Amino acid sequence: MSFLFGGAPKMSSAEKIAAAETEVEMISDMFNRLTESCTKKCVPADYREGDLNKGESVCLDRCVSKFFDVNIKVSEKMQGEAAGKQGGGMGLM
Amino acid sequence: MDGLNASEQREFSARMERKQLKEFMTMYSKMVQRCFDDCVNDFTTKSLINREETCIMRCVDKNLKSSARLNERFQEQNAAMMQSGSMQR
Repeated sequence: MSFLFGGAPKMSSAEKIAAAETEVEMISDMFNRLTESCTKKCVPADYREGDLNKGESVCLDRCVSKFFDVNIKVSEKMQGEAAGKQGGGMGLM
Repeated sequence: MDGLNASEQREFSARMERKQLKEFMTMYSKMVQRCFDDCVNDFTTKSLINREETCIMRCVDKNLKSSARLNERFQEQNAAMMQSGSMQR
């Protein structure tokens, strides 16, 4: 996510590539974790049919949405905590 | 991801290609494990029986579909999050 690295002034080629790579890695790691959780929560392991039924599909959609919500909540909370410790140095969000 | 020049871009793409291949292999082995665990529990025969085979076909089918759906929703949410700048300084 570029917000973490966007502000760096002068980076070498290797650093820039590594930063871009880290960004992709973070996103794909998040997707993998989300897939694991949401599949476990929404798709039962008795495979009565090969298609997703209505309930499973809706569950997956909502699961993604809530996973993002949790991400944002946790990030807000942790940033608030960090800001509190540093005497409110960084007013994020 | 912006701000890379042409040669940096090339190196980056090469790395992404390697990463994709690796991800695919991981996905494949996870799929084998999941469908084996969920479908094969009876060891009174040596080869897969009909019921297990049907289960495995459905398991693969369903998991591919669910991961495609999750991917669609993920892209939408991710784009929305980036745009709204809710994680921006």
